[in-house]
Amino acid sequence: MLRTLHSGFLRSTELFPGRPAIEVEGSILTYQQLFTRSASIAATLQRRAPVAEPPLTAIFAYRSVTAFAGVLAALFRGHGYVPLNRTFPSDRTRTMLLRSGCTSMVVDQDSAHQLDEILQSMDQPMLVVMPDEVDVVELSYRWPGHTFVGCTDLESPGTWQSVSVQPNSIAYLLFTSGSTGMPKGVMVSHSNVTHFVDVMVERYEINENDRFSQNFDMTFDLSAFDMFVAWERGACVCCPKAKNLISPGRFIQNSALTVWFSVPSAGVFMKRLGLLEANRYPNLRWSLFCGEALPSDIAQNWAAAAPNSIVENLYGPTELTIACTLYRWDQEKSPAECYLGMVPIGMPYPGMNTLIVRDDLTEVAPGEVGELLLTGPQLSLGYWQDAERTAAAFVIPDRHKETYYRTGDRVRRPLGEKDPIVYVGRADHQVKVLGHRLELSEIEAVLKQQPGVDSAVAVGWPVTTSGANGVVAFVTGTKVKEGALRDSVAATLPAYAVPREIKVLTQFPLNMNGKVDRRALCSMLEAEL
Amino acid sequence: MRRITADEIRKFILSRLQGQLEAKGLSPSSVPDDFDLLTEGVVNSMGMVELVVAVEQQFATRLDFEELDPENLTIVGPLCKYIEERSGTGNLAGHEGMLGRL
Repeated sequence: MLRTLHSGFLRSTELFPGRPAIEVEGSILTYQQLFTRSASIAATLQRRAPVAEPPLTAIFAYRSVTAFAGVLAALFRGHGYVPLNRTFPSDRTRTMLLRSGCTSMVVDQDSAHQLDEILQSMDQPMLVVMPDEVDVVELSYRWPGHTFVGCTDLESPGTWQSVSVQPNSIAYLLFTSGSTGMPKGVMVSHSNVTHFVDVMVERYEINENDRFSQNFDMTFDLSAFDMFVAWERGACVCCPKAKNLISPGRFIQNSALTVWFSVPSAGVFMKRLGLLEANRYPNLRWSLFCGEALPSDIAQNWAAAAPNSIVENLYGPTELTIACTLYRWDQEKSPAECYLGMVPIGMPYPGMNTLIVRDDLTEVAPGEVGELLLTGPQLSLGYWQDAERTAAAFVIPDRHKETYYRTGDRVRRPLGEKDPIVYVGRADHQVKVLGHRLELSEIEAVLKQQPGVDSAVAVGWPVTTSGANGVVAFVTGTKVKEGALRDSVAATLPAYAVPREIKVLTQFPLNMNGKVDRRALCSMLEAEL
Repeated sequence: MRRITADEIRKFILSRLQGQLEAKGLSPSSVPDDFDLLTEGVVNSMGMVELVVAVEQQFATRLDFEELDPENLTIVGPLCKYIEERSGTGNLAGHEGMLGRL
């Protein structure tokens, strides 16, 4: 059998047919059961799909059995999967669907309510497979141009025909927020993800007794870790309800998780809610964080709360397949390696190579800060039907032969070969204020150290053609006094870096992936003009 | 320690969220007990946590949410009741609290 993203699942189904593959919505499905369900959907797609279509199937489903079965079904039929998310505005979902060109879609029960809005501008006839619906008559009546298949019309799993898949074909097409507002579809191939999966299962010695958290929505590529690293070795994927994400203490305990993977914010929330007391999660073997900078106090607290686990900080943009550098936390030695209270991003994965460069793509000296570029087997295929943006981000630097991806992240080049790479900030969070180059993350770090401040975000404002005239900061916290806060910050930062205004908010606006939405903050400032 | 009543907590929480509630056409007094602050879009997950921290600071206490069903964490009635109950049992975790170790 050719190595593909789903070949691990198929092998585990042969080896461990009766072991649990997923726990979701209060039900447990074994490998055999999930295989049967997925093969049945795959067979239906094969039989009913329009003749000419791109090799992509959309999965419009959320934290449900159908979501997982849909992903596998897309792969089983030789397609890449395109995850859609009903918690996104339906306009955005429609844009993603249109841009992907998908004409087949698997929809779960709770996402079906949005179908009327999603289908509005679909000129192409769509095949909509709805394994949770008995009755699709009304939908078929309302949308005569499209084909709807309910659960009673699904094909038998035995009719699924295995398809040979090339390693460089698309395994998933994932739309990232894209700083310009227009979502970009990142094409990630089977060989990209299988390289990642191989590195992970070996490093973490995953086995059939492991139980993984599945905290990430499928529209966040980190969810591919949860599914495919677990299924590669017969482990179980435990998917909590969306609400549990704020307070997952019980979920970790009741589900007897052994592998935890989340954004660091989950740890921040848990610390605030008193859920990171020493030895609370003794079953965890691995505690993994990715998706944003990991604060060192969270790493420290988590390591104490899950004392039998190893804490690792993973880093990587979607374009480099889930994660491509990592750092192992060490309670003794790591605090000294942190920068601005953030844990280093560590070393590249085996096979991946880094380059840390100036604006002209020439390498910076050891110890200096530059943009991080990476290449290797996890370098994705680029952006779907967007040669221009692919060419801008996937570059061949002078005197190099390989294509590198420009991460837009600023890091410090290590002095020694065994030293970790340290994350400094986003390239686009670096602003020129009156000619001075400023790292906004540094201002944020200083603000966060002040008493009463919980989180802080700084933006260059007002914006000028050459950068910004100053900085405006936003903080959340309790009993924060703007004047006193500015005075204490002024004692640490040079005058041009001191925020001209500090706004206290009850909460930050968050973007689709739960990260602070800086553009929304700037819109607030614009609205004041 | 004085027991904090669910009513006091409710008043504090809803007055703190007054701006967000008004943006949704609601007033603090019209919010029913089964109102879900998160799913109704009044707060996001980060706002929820900020809210808990604000309650802790307002009432000089440290809360432990171990026993609260996450399903209920964001629903006004059960949340306030939970905090009331915890404040009455002396089970307010004192570690790292504003008052230090109690």
